Amino acid sequence: MDAACYARNFDAISTAEQSVLTQKTVFVVGCGGLGGYVVEYLGRLGVGRLVVADPDLFEVSNLNRQLLSSHMNLGKPKVLAAKQRIQAINPLVRVDIHQVKMTNANSLSLISGADVVVDALDNIPDRLVLQGACKVAGIPLVHGAIAGWCGQVCVVMPGQDLLDKIYPDAQVQQGDEAQSGSLSFSAGLVAALQAAEVVKLLLGRGAVRPTLVLIDLLRNEIIDIAI
Amino acid sequence: MITVNTKEHPWHNGMTVRMVIEEKGYTFTHLVVRVNGTPLPENLYDRFEIHDGDEVLILHLMAGG
Repeated sequence: MDAACYARNFDAISTAEQSVLTQKTVFVVGCGGLGGYVVEYLGRLGVGRLVVADPDLFEVSNLNRQLLSSHMNLGKPKVLAAKQRIQAINPLVRVDIHQVKMTNANSLSLISGADVVVDALDNIPDRLVLQGACKVAGIPLVHGAIAGWCGQVCVVMPGQDLLDKIYPDAQVQQGDEAQSGSLSFSAGLVAALQAAEVVKLLLGRGAVRPTLVLIDLLRNEIIDIAI
Repeated sequence: MITVNTKEHPWHNGMTVRMVIEEKGYTFTHLVVRVNGTPLPENLYDRFEIHDGDEVLILHLMAGG
């Protein structure tokens, strides 16, 4: 391990913990507003292997918030931008990409081998599919979602099915983001919280969040709710 | 007094879920509401009465990524 690039991780993360991180695999599902930042944070931290799945190509409407998007890669696969970005920042990290949509048919095979899965998706049915796959595979899921000035984060340990309570109607595709849009700082903040929970899970350190964090940046509210 | 998302909120006679939503200023079109842990469908917001001491959970339905 080239410790020099991790020098400013220490001692918030110990050298022994840094070595642990290099052995871990995190699966990031969705590579848009949340996923782009999550990949960035985990790649810079030095998680050994990132697996990223997203079927989409960058569009002009992504530029307001999606870290990996630029005028240079419009029309190009989001997952490819993730791989190129992390290779440029930290070539010690292996990035495997899947330009596919997660479905009931492929979800289990995709997440196989991951230590933690990150939900950075953009619709409700796919989030519930992912939760089901993580439950079967016994892998912790770190959920995040945004709409406008608001965001939410929670850790779903296998079998908890917390997303069923957040999204009681599996037929509904989207939340309020369809009306309120999605802002860059909401994505960055929620992704940062997700990355922190991922690292705590990987290291078995700190208190993994047992609640749903609700963030409303317009009302200056950040509250934890047991659900 | 009731609690809304863990914070205390004044209760009054005849209070409905819709009133709580308006008093707290929730503006999202899509909400998830639970009263004492029980999910409440939107078509009951105007007539479901909140009692003193109830615990109300109001979540913005958000799924953007």
